[in-house]
Amino acid sequence: MSRYAMVIDLQRCTGCSSCSISCKNENNVSDGIYWSGKITETSGTFPNVRFHYIPTLCNHCEDAPCVRGCPTRAMHKLDNGITMHNPKKCIGCRYCMINCPYGVIYFNWSNPHEFWRDKRVLIKGGTSSPAEETRKVGGKEIPYYNPEREATLSGIRAKGVVEKCTFCDHRIKKGKLPRCVDACPADARIFGDLDDPKSQINKLIGKFRPFRLKESLGTKPGVFYIRDFSSAAYPRTKGGI
Amino acid sequence: MKLRIWIGLLGLGILLGLMTVYRVYTAGFVVYAKTDVLVWTLPLGAYIFFSLTSSGLAFVSSIPIVFGVKRYETIEKRTIFLEFAVLMGSFVCLILHLGSPLKVIYLMLSPNLASPLWWLATLYTIYLVIIVSAFWRIHTARTSKVLGVLVFLIAIATSTTLGWLMGMTDARPTLNASFFTMYFPLTAFISGLAAMLLFSLLTAYFSNREITQEKNALYNELARMLGIAAGLVLILFLWRSIIGGISSTAEGYLAFKHIIGSIPYNIELWLGLFIPSILMLIPSIRVTVWGKVTAGALLLIGMFAGRLEFVLSGVVRPLGQMAEGRPEFVSYMPTISEILVVVFGLSIMLLIYTLGDRFLKLEQVPE
Repeated sequence: MSRYAMVIDLQRCTGCSSCSISCKNENNVSDGIYWSGKITETSGTFPNVRFHYIPTLCNHCEDAPCVRGCPTRAMHKLDNGITMHNPKKCIGCRYCMINCPYGVIYFNWSNPHEFWRDKRVLIKGGTSSPAEETRKVGGKEIPYYNPEREATLSGIRAKGVVEKCTFCDHRIKKGKLPRCVDACPADARIFGDLDDPKSQINKLIGKFRPFRLKESLGTKPGVFYIRDFSSAAYPRTKGGI
Repeated sequence: MKLRIWIGLLGLGILLGLMTVYRVYTAGFVVYAKTDVLVWTLPLGAYIFFSLTSSGLAFVSSIPIVFGVKRYETIEKRTIFLEFAVLMGSFVCLILHLGSPLKVIYLMLSPNLASPLWWLATLYTIYLVIIVSAFWRIHTARTSKVLGVLVFLIAIATSTTLGWLMGMTDARPTLNASFFTMYFPLTAFISGLAAMLLFSLLTAYFSNREITQEKNALYNELARMLGIAAGLVLILFLWRSIIGGISSTAEGYLAFKHIIGSIPYNIELWLGLFIPSILMLIPSIRVTVWGKVTAGALLLIGMFAGRLEFVLSGVVRPLGQMAEGRPEFVSYMPTISEILVVVFGLSIMLLIYTLGDRFLKLEQVPE
């Protein structure tokens, strides 16, 4: 059985956010929810400053605290290592959000894609309402609806339940890579099977010194980060007093 | 006449609560002051307050059966009924906290025994059945040692499981403390004592019932117990502050520094613990009705604020990618809808208690 994981090469990542945008399109993710997000940080004091960018997503932890705490097994592990959520069983207690150390689980506070339900037009007789736009292009709730998402999960999650990244399990089932991996123009995301010693991710994990987020908590995340981007150079020095 | 006005007020509270239910389940949880960071707020704080008060009342009602102090039998029936009423109030707040409460059926269909939340739900269901049975036994002028012991055991189980649920969250340094499995039953006990005194004395006052000498002595004894227990909790509370402030991790310390200056924290410390314990440890104040009522009311207000402070302490600091673009600590102010959830829970609880007092002979002593 496979044990899927991801390597993110921070030297290759340009911070373009195409992972986030493609994820939103692929999974019909609503406004304000980011299955694929980021942590940014500015270090140093002006003028000696640097900007750091770490792309984030569900870590699909081996010992996932969200899974352990979920009272109805709505949050559960698949045999292939993916941490999956079943909205049909979710009671909306948000205990998974409390337990997740990475802040990657979101709750649908209101009806998703509220904007596209709006039947009001901006200019009467001139423009279409968002709801009409959706109907015209044959979308389901949103114009850019992706029906393929329905294969393993509700196409659009309802109000009152949580949602998060699934490593695009519906694509994996078809032998495709997760959408964010496919869409990355810099090939900064590398996906594969940890149980396959010949997999690209195992080669990279072995070649570089990877780190995982908040490893001290013992959750054993399935997202590994390697290298760090820096175009800066400096003259060789021993400092001084 | 007074009773009609009272019932009318409670009816209004329930009506406002029902309107809130409609708003919550049509507009969604956006009517609460919740964000992706503040995932648990006032409704959950109110649930914890009510449920722990109910557990505390269970400790008080168990005194005659579990500890064999027969003179407490005179308050047993009222205490058990109050336990039930308060539990109903807690369920109202809990339901309005859940995003999809109708799916709770999956607690049975797809249980996760590793989840403290599953245990809590199961224990509270058993608890409800047991207190209803125990009350029915007393109401039919009988008593059951087994049920009395079960009420006591389940009250320990629920309050400590709540400590497990809240206190074992690795991701949240301010919540992650085994301390809560001890702090919750203790504070539940003082809340139960305070609620018992407050409701018994106010009921007697408003229904013009004379308090017998025997009962008065019992109330004074309970008040002394309240003073001592609140004092002990105060010491524990201060140690919690010292440990949080001095010897925790930097992350925990920062969150704690934020909380220590908050209004709920200070209400819990001063109104909820310090003043009631002082009032109840001064004999001349302790023997007065107003002294006991004031101490009981202040303690409950303080505990309510404390439960809210506790819930907020775990969520005010954004984690991971949720921290992106947010301040180090987010502020919280409850919305009208959240306040109405508490009003709804309180009104349901008070209505049940008022009807029980009127029709179920709560003064009755089991044989």
